[in-house]
Amino acid sequence: MRWLRFAIGLLIALTLHSLLDSFYPNALAFFNPYVILVVYYSMGGNILGAIVAGVLAGFVQDAFSNAPFGLHAFSLTVCAYVVASINARLALRGSLAFGACLGGAVIVNELVIYVLVNILMKQKIEMFEQALLVKTIFTLLFGMLVYQLLTVFLREEPIEATRNKAVW
Amino acid sequence: MAVPTDVIPRRPTLLFIVVLSLLFVLMSLSSRTRYIGETRTMFERTVMTVFSPVPKFVNWAGGAAQDMHHGYLDMRAAVNENVDLRRKVASLTTENLRLRQTGSDMRRLRSLLAYAEQFDFETSMGQTIMLDTAGRFKSIIIDRGSDDGVQVNDIVANASGLIGRVVLTTKDLAKVQLVTDNNCAVGSLVERTRRQGVVRGNGGANVQLYDIPSLADLQPGDRVLTAGIDGIFPKGIPIGNVVRTDQGQGLFKTVTVKPAVDFGTIEEVIVIHTRKIPQQVVRYAP
Repeated sequence: MRWLRFAIGLLIALTLHSLLDSFYPNALAFFNPYVILVVYYSMGGNILGAIVAGVLAGFVQDAFSNAPFGLHAFSLTVCAYVVASINARLALRGSLAFGACLGGAVIVNELVIYVLVNILMKQKIEMFEQALLVKTIFTLLFGMLVYQLLTVFLREEPIEATRNKAVW
Repeated sequence: MAVPTDVIPRRPTLLFIVVLSLLFVLMSLSSRTRYIGETRTMFERTVMTVFSPVPKFVNWAGGAAQDMHHGYLDMRAAVNENVDLRRKVASLTTENLRLRQTGSDMRRLRSLLAYAEQFDFETSMGQTIMLDTAGRFKSIIIDRGSDDGVQVNDIVANASGLIGRVVLTTKDLAKVQLVTDNNCAVGSLVERTRRQGVVRGNGGANVQLYDIPSLADLQPGDRVLTAGIDGIFPKGIPIGNVVRTDQGQGLFKTVTVKPAVDFGTIEEVIVIHTRKIPQQVVRYAP
């Protein structure tokens, strides 16, 4: 069931990616649906599952962008690991905790990409700070909306829906 | 609230480090081989193939939804008319819109066709289904793939000028690296003076023309074309116009070129099936 939910979430993220790319090509510079998906699944505190989720979501994002293959997989895996590690120890609940984790994850994601692009491609990203701020705000707003909707429609705490008591 | 320790997997950190290491190796290989096209990983092609129905469906559904939306707007406009007149007006408006759209399509396609006939190479037409023009890595995805004869390093252009080159193909899709991408470089020449240089993307809306000596004659408005010296891009495709020339710090000028193509509005494209450099030459290229 967890994998089914993740697969559906991944398809929705890719659909959103395609939709924005097709009709609003500038929108993805300000918003990242894959981070929301990965953070949502990492909030369960299952570290192994979070790593797998980060890698899969990142591969899909990489396949449909011109980034070096593995760049987004790397950054999303780091985000997933950090969020899952925190939640494995503290079991954060509620939309506020989700928002804090999501905001942090967007920042970590962008910083990791910034560093990797500098190391691997010897390139400097223009207007990094401004883009980071805008991306964090918009991803946070959309992520909170998604979280509230899922909580209402699934009638359960989304974190519980993805938590695994033993192993992934 | 603390979680019981048996919930936490035993060695997640080790797995995390291993996964990151593997991803770093994959990424390094990908970034090292992206310039010679064909060596892109099979893995990337497989992931793209598996998920390719999603963007294709979204493109189809989006087009259908837009059609429905336009139909609805046309109907709304006719509500205030009397019934007979409304029918007539709705019919004429719809017909008029369709004809105008057809006329505009015909003009665009004719200019594309005329443009395509300039080349000795085989060409085919395609349609964009994804535009990633604002991100760091600028690319588009078109609805033609290896089944349609599209190969890596084929050139993509439209009536306005050069768009980029194909960097990855699946059976029914192809990924095109835009000329504005940081990693794209094109051998080029200035039409008026025939001065040759290299156009490189800088990740922004414009591109830079490099290797132009500081004493060279170059003015804003000069048209920049492909030079046909890089083994990939055929000669004579418009790249853009010089908008700014600055005296660089060294022996060369800093030249900014505005691309001829408005990348946010690309619809139909021409894929030019160029003659490829033999693989053995690519392999030994510096």
